[in-house]
Amino acid sequence: MFSYPLVNVLGACLIITSMMVVLARTGRAAAFLYSFQSLMLVGVLASLGFVTGSTELFTWSATAFVTKVVLVPAILLFTLKKIGKDAQADLPPKLNPMKSVALVAVEVFVCFVAVSSIDLPTALEVKPTLAVSLAHFFIGLTCIVIQRSIFRQIFGYCLMENGSHVTLALLAPQAPELVEIGVATDAIFAVVILAVLVWRMAHYAHTLDADDLCELKG
Amino acid sequence: MTIIVAILQAVLLVTLAPLFSGITRKIRAKMHSRKGTSIMQDYYDLAKLWRRCEVKEGGSGIISRLTPPIFLGSFILVAAGLPLVMQACPVPFLGDIITVLYLMALPRFMFALGSIDSAGSYTAIGGVRELLVGVLVEPSLILVLFVAAIAAGSTNLGIMANAVGTLQAYPFVAIVVAGVACAMACYIEMGKLPFDLAEAEQEIQEGPLAAYSGPSLAMIKLGVSVKQLVVASLFVAIFLPFGAATTAAPLDLLVGLVSFLFKLLIVMLIASVIENSVMRARYKYLGRYTWFVVGIASLSLVFLVIGI
Repeated sequence: MFSYPLVNVLGACLIITSMMVVLARTGRAAAFLYSFQSLMLVGVLASLGFVTGSTELFTWSATAFVTKVVLVPAILLFTLKKIGKDAQADLPPKLNPMKSVALVAVEVFVCFVAVSSIDLPTALEVKPTLAVSLAHFFIGLTCIVIQRSIFRQIFGYCLMENGSHVTLALLAPQAPELVEIGVATDAIFAVVILAVLVWRMAHYAHTLDADDLCELKG
Repeated sequence: MTIIVAILQAVLLVTLAPLFSGITRKIRAKMHSRKGTSIMQDYYDLAKLWRRCEVKEGGSGIISRLTPPIFLGSFILVAAGLPLVMQACPVPFLGDIITVLYLMALPRFMFALGSIDSAGSYTAIGGVRELLVGVLVEPSLILVLFVAAIAAGSTNLGIMANAVGTLQAYPFVAIVVAGVACAMACYIEMGKLPFDLAEAEQEIQEGPLAAYSGPSLAMIKLGVSVKQLVVASLFVAIFLPFGAATTAAPLDLLVGLVSFLFKLLIVMLIASVIENSVMRARYKYLGRYTWFVVGIASLSLVFLVIGI
């Protein structure tokens, strides 16, 4: 049951869930979907652990569960609650979200073309997932570019971060725990800092619209 | 033997079409807190129309007269070729996706021609809307069927159904995503809200129908109901072939028939519930919704290419 096709199917689920995070209408829904996406990430890490027989990956998946499935969404939901009615958190995105699905498809394809020339022994069987993890960087970038709400732009960063986590697990399954701790704590602290920034901005400017906030400079 | 199955399933779909249409009308009435008409109302309407004499518009030509039989006939032909009760096409040459797509495009073409053949000015606007829906949704449907064909290794609907039914269609996720996109595309093709309202013949939307009367109108009305069933069956046949007969043994066929009717009823129920919980979109905004279908369809193509 635990084999490379399972890893690839979970990788496809990562793309679908991250698309749902980008498409979600409310910040609250996006936070829950992000939690679900991280659960898929935990699944990828755990199944990779079974396939490669690397015990490090199990500890990775456990820490990823705590930090990404529980902590990060909790911090984001807490921020949303703190902002409350102070600023409108659910701004419509700049690009029609329906079109962003086609954009994601193009990004995944481009990434697949990019990784198809990589000839690493660890990446032979999981090339589709490697493409998916690389594509997450671009999906995160898409999220940051098309969302007007600075709260929703945090999700773009989180998606990029999830992508780098999968890439690391695919290419270096035997990497020591220290590296993983770096990745996980990185995400937590960055999200905390971003959340505090968003909360302060909402408190000060009463808006989360990135276009409006541009006028604050100087 | 399989020819008989083909004829029987075409007859079955044609006789059931008004019933399903009546059921969806009843659901709409219930959701609007109305009592609604009987679920047999469509049969009464058709019988009444069939007895009426036909009135033709002055200035309309042969196209207007040919449109109703071609409209109904093409959908009956498609219905005969689909792998509905078996996981194989009863008539193989009718079960090719290219044939099916063209047979579904022909009625739309005739409908549009019929709308400009009429002397009325509103009918042409209705025809434009019909063509617009076609232009927006058909590329996605073609793309999805292409993905399914590559995954199954054949453009024959029966082989595709068999490959999906036995879970041998290779990139698994691509097929699932293609199934989702196909469901959406088929929903739009069925002419339901927010895209269209198949019963709205008095309005601009189904404008070309305003020019018809008597048996011609009956044929087109029946054709519209058959179209809804055929499009829903196309989705069921390719992406939900579970339960369909793998052999031509009578018992298997019976089980296949029962499971097909059950699946079709579920699909139609879901479609009518969705239809009644949304509002009608202006035709200018149709593109916004169809972009989503295009996106999902292209995502399934990408999954097919990268092999997951």
